[in-house]
Amino acid sequence: MMELFLTVFSAAFFVTVIRTTTPLLLATLGGLIADLGGALNVALEGMMLIGCLTAVIVSVYAPWYVAVAAGLGAGALLGLIMAFFAFRLKADIILVGFAINIFAAGGTVFALALATGGDKGTSINLPSKAIPAVDLSFLSNIPVVGPTLTAFLSGHSVLSWFAAFLVFAVWYFLYRTPWGLWLRGVGEYPAAPEAAGIPVNKIRTWSLIVSGALAGLGGAQLAMFNYVGFTREMTAGRGFIALGAVLLGARHPVGALLAALLFGAFEALAVVMPGLFNEIPAEIIRMIPFVVTIAALVLFSVRAQRALAMRGAK
Amino acid sequence: MSNIPAIDRASRWKTIRRETLRALAALAIALLVTFIVVLFTSKAPFEAFTQLLTAPVSRVRTVGLWIDDVVKLTITGLAFSLVFQARQFSMGVQGQVYIGALAATYVALSPLGATWAGIPLGITAAMLAGAVYGFLPGIAKAKLGANEIVSSLMLNYIAIELCNFLVRTNLPKPQAGVLTTNDFPDSAVFPALVANTRIDLGLIFALVAVVVVWFALYRTSWGLKLRLVGHNARFAEYSGIKATFIMVSAMTASGALGGLLGSMFVQGQTYGKLTVLFEGGLAFEGILVAIVARSRPLAVPVVALFYGYLRQGAQLMNIRTDVPAEVIGVVTAIIILLVSSSFSFGFIKKLFNRDTARVSAPVAAGGAAK
Repeated sequence: MMELFLTVFSAAFFVTVIRTTTPLLLATLGGLIADLGGALNVALEGMMLIGCLTAVIVSVYAPWYVAVAAGLGAGALLGLIMAFFAFRLKADIILVGFAINIFAAGGTVFALALATGGDKGTSINLPSKAIPAVDLSFLSNIPVVGPTLTAFLSGHSVLSWFAAFLVFAVWYFLYRTPWGLWLRGVGEYPAAPEAAGIPVNKIRTWSLIVSGALAGLGGAQLAMFNYVGFTREMTAGRGFIALGAVLLGARHPVGALLAALLFGAFEALAVVMPGLFNEIPAEIIRMIPFVVTIAALVLFSVRAQRALAMRGAK
Repeated sequence: MSNIPAIDRASRWKTIRRETLRALAALAIALLVTFIVVLFTSKAPFEAFTQLLTAPVSRVRTVGLWIDDVVKLTITGLAFSLVFQARQFSMGVQGQVYIGALAATYVALSPLGATWAGIPLGITAAMLAGAVYGFLPGIAKAKLGANEIVSSLMLNYIAIELCNFLVRTNLPKPQAGVLTTNDFPDSAVFPALVANTRIDLGLIFALVAVVVVWFALYRTSWGLKLRLVGHNARFAEYSGIKATFIMVSAMTASGALGGLLGSMFVQGQTYGKLTVLFEGGLAFEGILVAIVARSRPLAVPVVALFYGYLRQGAQLMNIRTDVPAEVIGVVTAIIILLVSSSFSFGFIKKLFNRDTARVSAPVAAGGAAK
């Protein structure tokens, strides 16, 4: 038990938490934007997965930032497809989302087999690149706190810093710009913004595009920093966990950050625990993020339900 | 729904004809896209496509593989139909399959498995376990408001890990290190209906399940209430129907079907034992079957027949040519997208002529997001 405490309160563990949180946070912010626009984006999982593969394959031929942009673009494109079918062709958005998930699960393996020449498991034969870590070791020059600061702040992915900035950016967008107000209005009660002349479907479409772009970015982080390379079904439910994190975070960017950190911390725990406790089977440890998601969802749903009842049942 | 039977019948045939045409058109478009993909990626595209379209009927054995897929797709299609009719998006069939399979395995490998009770007890245990697993997200939604999509998906992952864990550690294995259990005793394995194929007792269960689900949905008051709740939960609530009870019971019944599918996997001729990850993603394909069948139980086996053919064709194409079987994911996605949307040929024409998209009532998002 002592080792666990020592591990959890170490700087290395903090760095691991940030690493596991970043893809989740990006996907959660994506889910948040779609959710506030009134569309539950169940395709986050598939968008992340396709973002992963796109980023990995592009990174073989191009610099890392192009690959990240490609992952982002792939997610955005899926968001556009989703919006087209859901809003233009009036399909049920949940079913559209699952169609994208099924497409992603099969399509990525198909594309992987083509790209690697038959390998359906991993992209281990492809020389894919990684996102560079931000080196802040110059902070050590600061007296007293310098080494600690370096240990905690140095070595994160560029995208981790970007994700942290995005939490602020999304908050600013939602609560300090007219478009944010429009988006929230569209999600809350579409008839009102429509009467006010706000293009409801256009806003929803953009919300799904941004949502997909963020999920794709999360995928790029996952496949180019957390792991370098693509593995079949490597997102392993992270998109669905992000969906839970949106609800858990009370549909607010800061809540999303906290929820993503919570799930990220448990995932990090699952990363370090096998080294500490040999007697706990790996399968049980792998279950932790899912069990925590259900527990958190149940606990916080009660609160959300009460809030909903107070606003007058929707 | 009309009160006059004659009109009702006439419009029903019209609906069926329209839906069939739409489904076939979606299938044609999906196959066309797939063909284009194969054309660009395969060295022998025509051979690959011929395999996809003809391989399942090439031998008696492959027909058996096809029918086995159809049987399983029928059950998962029924399970999704039940929850979709109640407008619940419980995605837990996969988890129920694993939990049901575990329950059936424990029965089959117990002393009881070697007696005549092996099959009936195995199925019962599997259905009960699946029902419990379907009940959990239902009750969490009804009592606590927990989103059933997220919770059921999480339960899927948990069930898969639990199955991996128990197979690795707890269940008896032929030798250490392998990730399968001992073969079940013969008395616990469904007898084959056609010798040397995978067509087994599961076929009968699937047919019975179709009739039972149809009867429950269209000939009982529970089914009427369930469909009303699916149409408009608040209206149903106002008219005195306990919407939450109906939702939970629909998810539970669907879970029992998922559990049944689990027992059909492990107790069927295909396996006759429990292997990790035996389900191979089939459970989720029930979404396609249910959507194309418009959640109508009697249409489910027909759709499963078509889709199972494609699915098996893709597997055989994978073995015999250089095109990976996963290309079927593209077909599945396109069919779901087209069938679940309001696509038709006239609509496509209009779509590209029209610029000002009118604001739609939030049919899609509004109802589902809650």
